[in-house]
Amino acid sequence: MVKKKSIYPYLLVAPALIIILCVVFVPVINAIGMSFQSYDLRRPKEIAFCGLENYITVFKDKLFWKALWKTILWVVFGVGFQFVFGFVLALLLKKKFKGRGAVRAVSLIPWVTPGVLIGLMWRWMYDGNYGVINDLLGKIHLLDKNIPFLSQTNTAFPAVIITIIWQGIPFFALMILAGLQGIPEELYEAADVDGATGFQKLFKITIPSIKNTLFVTTLLRVIWVANSVDVIFNMTEGGPAYSSQTLSVYVFNKAQALDLGYSSAMAILLTLVLCLVAIPYLIFTFREEDS
Amino acid sequence: MKRESLLKRFFTLYLPLAVILVFILFPFYWTFITSIKPDSELYGAITYWPKHVQWESYKKLFTTTVDFLGAMKNSFVVAILTTMVSLTASTLASYAFSRYRFPGRKAMMALFLSNNMFPTVLLLIPLYTIMRNMGLLYKPASLVLAYTTFTLPFSVWLLNGFFNDLPLSLEEAALIDGCNRRKAFFKIILPILSPCLVATGVYIFMTSWNEYTFAVMFTNKASRTIPVALKSLIGQLGVDWGMLTAGGIITIIPVCIMFFFAQKRLVEGLTAGAVKG
Amino acid sequence: MKKKLLSVVLAATMVAGMTGCGSNPENKGSSGKGSESSDNIEPCTIKFQYWADNTDYSSLMQDIIKKFNDENEYDITVEGEETPWDGGGYSNTLFNAAMGGGAPDVATFKLSAAPMFVNNDLFADLTPFVDKWDEKDDIADNIYQVMKNAGGSDDSLYLMPWNTQILYIYYRPSVFKEAGITQTPETYDEFIEDIKKCTMDTDGDGKTDIYGFGMRGGAGGQEPWGDFIYGQGGSFDDLTSKESVKGMQDFIDLYQGGYVPKSATSDGFQETLANFQSGLTAMFVHHVGSSKGLIEALGDDVDAFMVPKGKGQWTSMGDTETVMFESCENKEAAFEWMKYLAANEGQKMWCEGTGQVPVDQKVQKDDYFQNDKFMKVSMEGIDFAGTVPVKDTTTEWISNWPAIISQALTGEITAEECMKQLDAALNK
Repeated sequence: MVKKKSIYPYLLVAPALIIILCVVFVPVINAIGMSFQSYDLRRPKEIAFCGLENYITVFKDKLFWKALWKTILWVVFGVGFQFVFGFVLALLLKKKFKGRGAVRAVSLIPWVTPGVLIGLMWRWMYDGNYGVINDLLGKIHLLDKNIPFLSQTNTAFPAVIITIIWQGIPFFALMILAGLQGIPEELYEAADVDGATGFQKLFKITIPSIKNTLFVTTLLRVIWVANSVDVIFNMTEGGPAYSSQTLSVYVFNKAQALDLGYSSAMAILLTLVLCLVAIPYLIFTFREEDS
Repeated sequence: MKRESLLKRFFTLYLPLAVILVFILFPFYWTFITSIKPDSELYGAITYWPKHVQWESYKKLFTTTVDFLGAMKNSFVVAILTTMVSLTASTLASYAFSRYRFPGRKAMMALFLSNNMFPTVLLLIPLYTIMRNMGLLYKPASLVLAYTTFTLPFSVWLLNGFFNDLPLSLEEAALIDGCNRRKAFFKIILPILSPCLVATGVYIFMTSWNEYTFAVMFTNKASRTIPVALKSLIGQLGVDWGMLTAGGIITIIPVCIMFFFAQKRLVEGLTAGAVKG
Repeated sequence: MKKKLLSVVLAATMVAGMTGCGSNPENKGSSGKGSESSDNIEPCTIKFQYWADNTDYSSLMQDIIKKFNDENEYDITVEGEETPWDGGGYSNTLFNAAMGGGAPDVATFKLSAAPMFVNNDLFADLTPFVDKWDEKDDIADNIYQVMKNAGGSDDSLYLMPWNTQILYIYYRPSVFKEAGITQTPETYDEFIEDIKKCTMDTDGDGKTDIYGFGMRGGAGGQEPWGDFIYGQGGSFDDLTSKESVKGMQDFIDLYQGGYVPKSATSDGFQETLANFQSGLTAMFVHHVGSSKGLIEALGDDVDAFMVPKGKGQWTSMGDTETVMFESCENKEAAFEWMKYLAANEGQKMWCEGTGQVPVDQKVQKDDYFQNDKFMKVSMEGIDFAGTVPVKDTTTEWISNWPAIISQALTGEITAEECMKQLDAALNK
């Protein structure tokens, strides 16, 4: 570690820092300001400072808590399963087999597909009258009647979660695969000599060696998924009856309705929640580095 | 190296791989056959292979006012430029964060992370004004700037994670051998880091490729990207399924091919010449 | 702590700056003095933004633009910029652009989004231009009035009529025949009865094969829904009245009685169209814009009737207008383009090509429109057609409507409770 003072690191960081500060930081501060005002562009003459009023209304809003809960489910199940399947896929793609290159390329498909297409295609597949999922489930006799997945409050959200799991698998697979490349083969060979089983190798060598990669990708993915609107919006717009409305979708809908003060307040709260999630990781990383 | 028995390989490799691949590929398959089905076959009894195959939709994408080719060009240009700019800036920054300790480091890292926690929909009006004042509106540069800003933080953290997993012993050995930091970076780190660079580059490319919210505001007909072109196929009177799915297929395939060539850089392990454990 | 204080101060300054210069450009239009008053229109370029519902309409608009550019006497060049409709996101994109200083000169528009633009003084007042227009009386007074209502002021006209789509009810004659119905319903009660008669199990397997009505509980469904509210004598102005609630109850009963597909809670236009076309439903509500496609698919087995009279009668008047932005620098020239679209050649080309009902009465009398059975049914509704009240709560009300309705349809809340929520959100 270079501990002596030098301007070198600052130079290295400068380009990134300047871009971010200039382009995003200012609008974010602006949005924070809006959250303390009754900033509704449908009634611009009534814009005025209103202190914490927006926040108080948010806390009393039942839909806010519902959306928050949905967001938690969304992240836990969505990212959780993406992670598991992505990890498994990464392990499989590391092995040598014929056509590996093509399989790796093809695994990328969910990630390459534009969000609007993902939302619409899955909506089409889930359709209650012409959807292929109903058809398949009927053919293997798991269902005797078509289910309009996206029209029922108890099936719409799980359906959307499955779609986001589908979308996120390549991200984890690719990142973890890249991380796996850095593990020296000798470690495994030594373990084989000692007679270690597959599981032992996985938990004692693989996972610890890519610890940082795993943490970072999961954290980033959590932030990304928590904020994502595209897939849900194109599939259900948050319905039916708000059953698939996560907090980010709620913010989006309110912002589209031009109630910017209210949606800014919720956005700040969402950001704070994500900060809470990130803090343990930050503490952990910084402590690790210092040791 | 022990040769695994075929049976073992079947259960530990081929079977799980096949299951996951079916899950991943089925929607793609469905998108494809929807694009070649005539409209009349879309509603009604479901067919797993079209009774009549038609390529009309693909033709219409390129010959009508949709101008999908133009949109693809724009998407590629924006994505590649964004990847180059973002990857360079983030590699420099994350190297600094990973290998140096300096005042303000932790604050900057936290800043980078929190930057992406804020929903982008609220930034639209101010950003539009900024782009307009800079004269960048409706030019690819506006998207490159916007996308770089949003991919930088994550890229910095991703690369930071990768850097931290790389043993320091490599660089130390090089330094002992007489290289300065810069040489050590280029000759030792970069090659080993290349899988991570590829992965991060892919992340940046994809984010730029798929983005819609900024694209629809900062582009016009001539400079619009693929997601905007696809959305234009959804009118008040319904979705043009044929063209939408055809557009999707055409969007997916070139990128997969590109990645096929890039993934060779995801080469295994530490190459010869590295320090042994 | 100091950092936080700094940010708050920065924020306050930022906000002060934004409110200061963001929202209120000088209101030149309303005094009527800001516009050029001479007839000397200089050659110039007019930026025109529009959406197209499919590639055919997109080409059509480009043809109209080209024709205007070639034939207009003032050497005005219209530059068309196509933006996706995006389920209504079009209005938001337009708004964001206007607020950011990048509005076009003229744009196509839907009046439900009017309040947010009018309240931020983004539109030019068209009254001086229309007053000078020698063909202004070709458009019915009632239509100008609807535009003025939407713009919130009787003195200023912010929306230029372009075309309308009046909703009616499509039906399958073959299904009516099978159900033993000999003529289309003449009253609201008969209509409900016919829906029930048309719900049939045609192959004897115990499952419904045809539903009487393709109910639209998803996006945009508030328009056909109004038919039921007014049919029982209710109205948008008071959704909590006994009559309005009764109309809602009819709606719920149809769903819970199985006379409409179970997917109705989220069916949007797409789905109801598809269900009708595939024979899953016997009737559904839409307008003449879909008639061409339906005739292609179903030939003679598709016809329509206007929403029948009950205790009241109402049908939704879909609308498309053009607007001029206050920031436009060549307002006279811009209005020339708007005139071209609203009457004569431009109006004719667009309405014939897209099947919308023209606002120009001269064009309405053309054979093309008189000979089309769906056009004729549309025109039957002109006297009582209306829109959901256009207030600043409307846009949000429309986007929340499906969620509230689906709770009522599934029985989670009662009809009264549902109407109470809807009324509070709209008429607060």
